[in-house]
Amino acid sequence: MRLELRGLTKKFGSFTADDNIDLTVEPGQIHAVLGENGAGKSTLMNMLYGILEPTSGEILIDGEPLTFSGPSDAIAAGIGMVHQHFKLVGPFSVADNVQLGREHTRGGGVLSAKAAREAVLDVSERYGLRLDPDAICEDLPVGVQQRVEIVKALSGPETELLILDEPTAVLTPAEITELLEIMRSLAASGTSILFISHKLKEVQAVADTITVIRRGKVVAELEPTASETEMASAMVGRAVTLTIDKTPAEPGEPRLEIEGLTVVNGAGVKVLDGLDLTVHSGEIVGLAGVEGNGQTELARTILGLLKPDAGQIIIDGVNVRSHTPSRRIADGLGYIPEDRGRDGVIAEFSVAENLVLNQYKDMPYAGGGVVRADAIRQRALGSIAEFDIRTQSPNELVSSLSGGNAQKVIIAREFSRPRHLLVAAQPTRGVDVGATEFIHQRLVTERDTGTGVLLISSELDEIYAMADRIAVIYNGRIVGEVAPDTPREVIGRLMVGASMEDAEHADPDEVEVTGPEAEETPAAEAAETSAPEADDTPTTDSGTSESDSNDEQSNGGDR
Amino acid sequence: MAVDTAPAPATPAALLDEKRTRKPIGGAVLAVIGAVIGGFALGKLGDRSVTFTLNLTLPDASWTVPAAPTVAILAALAAAAGILVAIGVPTRWFKLIMAAGATCLALSLLCWAMSQEGVVFRIESILAGALFLSLPYMFGALSGVVCERSGVINIGIEGQFLMGAFFGVLVASITGNSYAGILGAMIAGSLLTLLLAALATRYQVNQVVTGVILNLLALGFTGFMYDQLKKTPGYNNPHGVSNISSWLESIGLGFLGDIPVIGPVLFRQSIFVYVGLGLVAVIWFLLYRTRWGLRTRAVGEHPAAADSMGVNVNRLRFWNVAAAGLISGFGGAFFTIANNLAFNKNMTAGLGFVALAVMIVGRWNPLGVLAGALIFGFTTQVSRYLDTAGNSIIPGEFLQMLPYAVTLVVVAGLIGKAKAPAADGVPYNPGDK
Repeated sequence: MRLELRGLTKKFGSFTADDNIDLTVEPGQIHAVLGENGAGKSTLMNMLYGILEPTSGEILIDGEPLTFSGPSDAIAAGIGMVHQHFKLVGPFSVADNVQLGREHTRGGGVLSAKAAREAVLDVSERYGLRLDPDAICEDLPVGVQQRVEIVKALSGPETELLILDEPTAVLTPAEITELLEIMRSLAASGTSILFISHKLKEVQAVADTITVIRRGKVVAELEPTASETEMASAMVGRAVTLTIDKTPAEPGEPRLEIEGLTVVNGAGVKVLDGLDLTVHSGEIVGLAGVEGNGQTELARTILGLLKPDAGQIIIDGVNVRSHTPSRRIADGLGYIPEDRGRDGVIAEFSVAENLVLNQYKDMPYAGGGVVRADAIRQRALGSIAEFDIRTQSPNELVSSLSGGNAQKVIIAREFSRPRHLLVAAQPTRGVDVGATEFIHQRLVTERDTGTGVLLISSELDEIYAMADRIAVIYNGRIVGEVAPDTPREVIGRLMVGASMEDAEHADPDEVEVTGPEAEETPAAEAAETSAPEADDTPTTDSGTSESDSNDEQSNGGDR
Repeated sequence: MAVDTAPAPATPAALLDEKRTRKPIGGAVLAVIGAVIGGFALGKLGDRSVTFTLNLTLPDASWTVPAAPTVAILAALAAAAGILVAIGVPTRWFKLIMAAGATCLALSLLCWAMSQEGVVFRIESILAGALFLSLPYMFGALSGVVCERSGVINIGIEGQFLMGAFFGVLVASITGNSYAGILGAMIAGSLLTLLLAALATRYQVNQVVTGVILNLLALGFTGFMYDQLKKTPGYNNPHGVSNISSWLESIGLGFLGDIPVIGPVLFRQSIFVYVGLGLVAVIWFLLYRTRWGLRTRAVGEHPAAADSMGVNVNRLRFWNVAAAGLISGFGGAFFTIANNLAFNKNMTAGLGFVALAVMIVGRWNPLGVLAGALIFGFTTQVSRYLDTAGNSIIPGEFLQMLPYAVTLVVVAGLIGKAKAPAADGVPYNPGDK
C-alpha cells in the first residue's frame, strides 16, 4: 500500500498541533517519524487512524483520497495501529482481544471461541509471532502483550500498513531486538510500516526513510545513514551533544549502605529479596533491570514510604529504620520519583508551590504556621532562571508545562537544598532530548560535588552514559555489579536472571538471534516466565502514562 | 506457545508459604463468636428442642432434635473453621472453609431462634419464601450488572423500583390486566434509566450524583402521584399474577408440586420467580458468549481499546443502560403486582440499595448475583418468619435489621476487595487514552 499525506493540518482552538504535513510511505517501506514529545506525532497518527478528524488536508491510499470518521474506517482501508499504550482489555484472553470489534460468530451474535482461536493461530503462524490464544492478557509480560497488539493490528481484513507508535518504550533490550526483527520481516513481506519514535538508535537500525517533525512541521527528510547527532539536532532545532562529558569518579565514603533488604508486598510476594547495595559519595551507581523487578520498591523503601520486612538501610552511617520520610529528606536525601505525575508534582499547584513542596514548613518559606508568598516567589524566580524552566510565570500550574519542564521543576526542587544522597528513578522518562541533556549534566555536577547518586533507569543507554558502576537488579536482588564498559549482552543476560558466570561466558551473538526464534534463547524465555511474578509489571495502561499525558498537553488537546 | 504464568522456581519452603492463606483477625472473631454461642447454648437452652416440618407437602412428618447440643455442635464447627483460618489454611481450601464456618454459624443461630416455644422450622415455607423474596435483589442486581459491566454506575435502582412498582399497579388498574401492568413497569423503569444514560454518556455528568438525584426524583414523583390516586379510588389495584401450579395442573404435571422440598420451592411459585431465574441464565449467556457481551465487557473495562477497534462506546453504553431499566422496572413490579399489594409511598424501603450490594457480592457476575440474592432472600424470609411467629427472643425491629447486617458482614468480611470493571463510572471521550 502506498500512503500519502498531503498538507495534513490539525488545530485545537488557536493551537496548531500539526501544520501542513506532507509524507509518503512506499509499499514495503519502514518509514520513521522522529520528533520530540509534543511535536505532533501522536496527533498525526490519530488522524491517520481516524481517531481525530483533520482540520484540513488529505489522506490518500494508493492515490485515492479517503476520509475516516472512525478507527473502523481506517481498519477497513487496511491500516492497523499498535498504540503506545496498549489497547488491550486486561481480563480478556488473547483471542478475545484480537477479535474485539470484528467478532467470529456462529450467527445470531453468538461467539465462536474455536474460530477466534484459529484466527489468532493463523495470523501468528503466518508472521511467525507465537501466541497462546487462551492466555489472559494482563498476565502476559509486556513484550508478549505487544505481540498481541501486533497480531491484532495485522488481523484486519487486509492490513497493509502498520502504524507503530513509540513501540519500544516499555520493552527490554532483548524484546527490542526482537521487535525490530519482526518489523524487518513484515516489511520484507510487503507490509508498509510507519514507525513513530524518539529513540535515535532504533530509527537508525530499522528505517528506510526518516521524517523529522518539530512543533507540528516537517523539518527534515533524512536517510538512515544520517548520524545520531544530525537526527537529534533536527529534532531539537539546535546542536545537541549526545555524549556526556565527565571525569572519572572519585568515590569517597559510603553514603548509602543497604544490607539484606527484604520487602514483602500485599500479595505475599518478596518484591525485594535480600538486596545488598552500596553507593559512595562522588559516584553514580546505575541500577539496570527490567521494570518490575523491585526498582520501584527499592526507591520507595529508601525514602521510607515502604517499611522493610528485613534488612537495613544506612545513610551516612546512621541506620534510618525509625526515620520518617520527612526526616530522611531533611537529613539530606534527594528523591526524583519514577512516576512524575503521581509522586513528583501536584499538577494543579503552581510552579512556585511545587518548588517548595518539601520545604514549605521551614524558614524562610513559612513562619508561625503561615506560608510566606514572597519568599516562595523569590525562590521560584531563582530556580526558573537557574534550571531553565520554560514557564510563563511562577504562578502557572505545573499541569500546563511539558513533561520535560515538569521534570525540571522536580530537579530544581531536589537540587536546591543541601543533600548527600540522591535517588533518581527514571529521571529522563518522557523527557525530550534537550531536557535530557540538561538533566544528565546536572546529575554529573551533583556527583562531582560529593553526593552519592543512585540512578535507576530502564534505559540501558542512559545507564551506560551516566554510571560509574552498574548494578543489575533481578527479582528483587542485585544479581551482578559490573564496570560501565561491560558489553551490553552481558548486562542484558543479567537483567533476565542469568547468573554472573553464565552471563559472562555465553556467546554474545546468541542474544542477537534474528527473527522469532530469538525467543528460544534462554534469556528471552526467562523474561517471559519471570515477569508475571513481579507485582508491578506494567500492564496495558500503567507504566509510562506520564510521557503521554504531557504529550497531550503540549499538543493542546482540548479536553 | 507455552507462556508460563507461574511464579519463577522458589525454594520448597517458600512455595508452601505462598499457597497458604491466613486471616488472624477474621478467623479469631469467628472462633470467639462460635465459642460464645456454643457456651451460651449449653448453659441457657436447657431442654428446649427444635422441630423441623415439611408443612406444605407432608404436613404430618416432623423431626425434633434437642436444641442445646445441636446449636453447640454447629457453633463448635464454626469456631473450628475460625481457628483453622486464624492459623492458616491452604489457599484453595480457604473460601470453602470460610463459607462452611459462616454457614454453621448462621444455622446455629437459626436453630437457636427456632427453639422458642411454639415456633416450628417450616423448611418448605422458608425456602420457597426465600426464593420469592430474593427476586427484588435479583432483578435490581442484574440491572446493575448490565449497567456497570458497560461502565455506567447505576445507583438509581431504588428509583427504578419505585417507578416500576407505581406504574405497574397504575397500568394494571387501568387495563385490568397485570401483564400489561408489568409491561408498564418495565417502560417506567426504562424511562428513568434513559435519563441516566443520556446524562452519563451524552453530557458526562457524574454518575453517582445523577443516580442519587434520580432516586429522589422517583421518590417524590411516585409519592405525589400516590396522593393524587388516593382521591380517585380504583387506580391502585394490582390484580396479581397467577401461580405456576395451576398451569402445571392443567397440563397434567400437578404432581411436580407435591415432591417434598423441591415441589413447593420450584413448582408452586409466581411467574416472577421463573422470569428472574431465566434472566440470570440469559444475561450470563449474553455477557460471556455473545458479541454484545464481549463488547459490553470491553467498554466497561477499557473503553479506549474498544473504541480503537471501532466499537461506538457511548452508543453501546446508552442502549445498555436504557435496557437495564427494563429489568429494574420489572423488579419494581414485584413490590406491587407479584405481592398483589397496592402501591404505597416509599414501599421499596431501600431494597434497591441492597440490590447494589448484592451486585458487588456477586462480583458483577449474574451467577454470583443469583447466589447473593438467595442469601439475602433467605435472611429476609427468616427475619419475617420469626417476627410473625411471635414471642421471639429478639425484638422485631432487630430482626428486620438482619438483611442489612448481613450485607455489611458479607461485603466487609467475606468478599473483601471485589474488583469492579476498570472503567466503571468513568465517562468516555473519544480520543482519551
